[in-house]
Amino acid sequence: MVIINDFNIKKQADELGISVWKTPSFLFIVMGIVVMAAMTLVYFISRDKSSPELLILSEIIVVIVIMSIGNSVIQSVEQIAKVNKMKSDFISIVSHQLKTPPTEISWEIELLLAEYKGELNNKQLEIISSISEANRRIVKLTNDLLDVARFDQGRFILNKEKINIAEIIREVIQNNLIMAQANNVRIEFSNNGTIPEIIGDKKRIGVVVDNFLTNAIKYTKEKGKVGIEARQQGDNLVVSVKDNGVGIPESQKDKVFDKFFRSDNVVKYNTEGSGLGLYIAKKIIESSKGKIWFDTKEGQGSTFYFSLPIMTEA
Amino acid sequence: MAKILVVEDDMNLQRTLIEYLKKENFETLGASNGEDGVILAKKEKPDLILLDIVLPRKNGYEVIKELKSDDNTLKIPIVLLTNLGSYSDVEKALNLGATTYLVKADYKLEEVVAKIKEILKIN
Repeated sequence: MVIINDFNIKKQADELGISVWKTPSFLFIVMGIVVMAAMTLVYFISRDKSSPELLILSEIIVVIVIMSIGNSVIQSVEQIAKVNKMKSDFISIVSHQLKTPPTEISWEIELLLAEYKGELNNKQLEIISSISEANRRIVKLTNDLLDVARFDQGRFILNKEKINIAEIIREVIQNNLIMAQANNVRIEFSNNGTIPEIIGDKKRIGVVVDNFLTNAIKYTKEKGKVGIEARQQGDNLVVSVKDNGVGIPESQKDKVFDKFFRSDNVVKYNTEGSGLGLYIAKKIIESSKGKIWFDTKEGQGSTFYFSLPIMTEA
Repeated sequence: MAKILVVEDDMNLQRTLIEYLKKENFETLGASNGEDGVILAKKEKPDLILLDIVLPRKNGYEVIKELKSDDNTLKIPIVLLTNLGSYSDVEKALNLGATTYLVKADYKLEEVVAKIKEILKIN
């Protein structure tokens, strides 16, 4: 029999993302039921035969069976945990290797602009801005792919920090202004009154808002309008992004949050996009105990919503 | 003038950071491996250290451990600069005593400087 040191089933289960193991007591309840069932069986087997040898023998068998089951469960969890550790090490390394070059590009550009901006002409600045934008897309795609890998392994962990949603929205709008101008789209942000701070992962919630907004801008026809709204509704904070763009065909509505999904009417005239944005958005919001949904009508536009519970403590 | 030590093995990143910090009127020091980072920190006592995690000859974790176990360098704030994939990597460093962390690919130089000023309470 293998003796396992430092085995923390709760920790292993968390890393594996197996929901059953999130409550280790569940395991013990099952074991308890197995023990009771086995004991009952032993009782029925032995009650008609007044043989203590048979009773002892059958109890030994029960104990051996239970220990073997327990041991094999622990061993297989450990095995999966080992493979998972290797996968996550791989993600860490790949992440580091993939992100360093774009970091260099963006920092070099920033340094260049900080030192020589006044000496560059408009054409040169325009070229630099294109490089910057392309680089930003590389970073975003890398982050998206890494997040998807983390979800698939059940290793997606969210930060818990106080966040100000209005601030996040303003920041995201700022980052998308160039794209909006290029597509001739006007962005309007309205928040009625005070919006309470909530607990969440600032960066990830920003990713959700960014995914909603970039979709709205990308799929809005010329001279469109995108409206972002944040409001408190009961115990929830609801954020919506409304566009008057191409909308989603009725037949494809149920696939919107699928991994790599891109709707037919969109692919026809805009090939750029990984189909990961809304899949990731859904995972982030649901991992944050929130809800995500949409209204759409093909040819008229879509509104995407997410809501997050207002909690003041983590 | 605050003195910043940048421990980063990628020479391009180290150079851009140092040049930008100089432009912002910081005094700067650079080390391209963990061992040199520890030696410089002990000798020069910088006001703040920007530290990469993946480093040759002593990684970031070892550097933090060593600096936090020496009374002379114990109080120097350490800001991690990382592109590592998971939060647990960062958590490990924070538990060892790092002040905070920045994901390099998500931060502009301007934001790195803002963070430094915030920690050192410089306006």
